Amino acid sequence: MVDFALLHRSALAGAKTGSFGAVSTGSRIALTALPEGHVLHVLAAHGSGALQSLVAQIGDGGPYAVRAYGPGQWFVVGDAALSAADLSGKAALLASRASIADQSHGRVRIAISGASVEAVLAKGTAVDLDQASFTIGHSAMTLIGHISALITRTGTDSFEVMVLRGFAESLWDDLIQMSLEFGVDASTAD
Amino acid sequence: MASLIACPHCGPRPKEEFTVKGDAAIARPAADAGEDAWYAYVYLRDNPRGRHKEYWHHTSGCRRWLVVERDTLTHVVYSVSDASTQGGTA
Ligand SMILES: [Zn+2]
Repeated sequence: MVDFALLHRSALAGAKTGSFGAVSTGSRIALTALPEGHVLHVLAAHGSGALQSLVAQIGDGGPYAVRAYGPGQWFVVGDAALSAADLSGKAALLASRASIADQSHGRVRIAISGASVEAVLAKGTAVDLDQASFTIGHSAMTLIGHISALITRTGTDSFEVMVLRGFAESLWDDLIQMSLEFGVDASTAD
Repeated sequence: MASLIACPHCGPRPKEEFTVKGDAAIARPAADAGEDAWYAYVYLRDNPRGRHKEYWHHTSGCRRWLVVERDTLTHVVYSVSDASTQGGTA
């Protein structure tokens, strides 16, 4: 018998929402907390060879479900929560060539979009975000200010930023601050 | 200190993303090498002026250990490679 019930609470449930900064209309930034579905950290076994296509099989089929992190490491993300059975099914598909560490409650995804989104993110990271080198679907783990985050381009004017749960609200506030000159509309699901 | 490190996995990144571990040229002594050899291995470091090999960890990137060969005087970076290619221990 537990002394108190564990309650799942969205990391950004209490984050500030609304419209901030400039009243411009053309290049406003939209900041959106994404569903805390699943985030799977996939790690290749030593000497397991090229795994990209195998890792793709445990994704939900979404266009940017698999995100390269470093050599032999990926994040597989999606909006749907996974059961223990779903997870063991995915682990079986990897056939011991890679293992899964479930980070669904450990990392949070934030969508950021708008015509000036590159200029906003460039205030925090030194990664070249120009679409010629940072193509749609590309990911990069980097620092945004002092916070580590995985940046993924999801469109010409849109990115996703994935961050450790405990840093999510700080990064959220930073992203609002970085967007003020363009005007920003921030919304969470709750 | 060199301010841009070309990670072989991530591309050029600012030094703030890395953690420097120190000299990559020292060799671990044999277990029975004696106290002096072990004292030197653990505690004693040169402070070179010029070309130098160091371990750098890409802490806020791919999280791989790298070997950076750079010049402490001119800040030139000669080479950056994944540490696993040096000793074959990965
Ligand atoms: Zn790297």
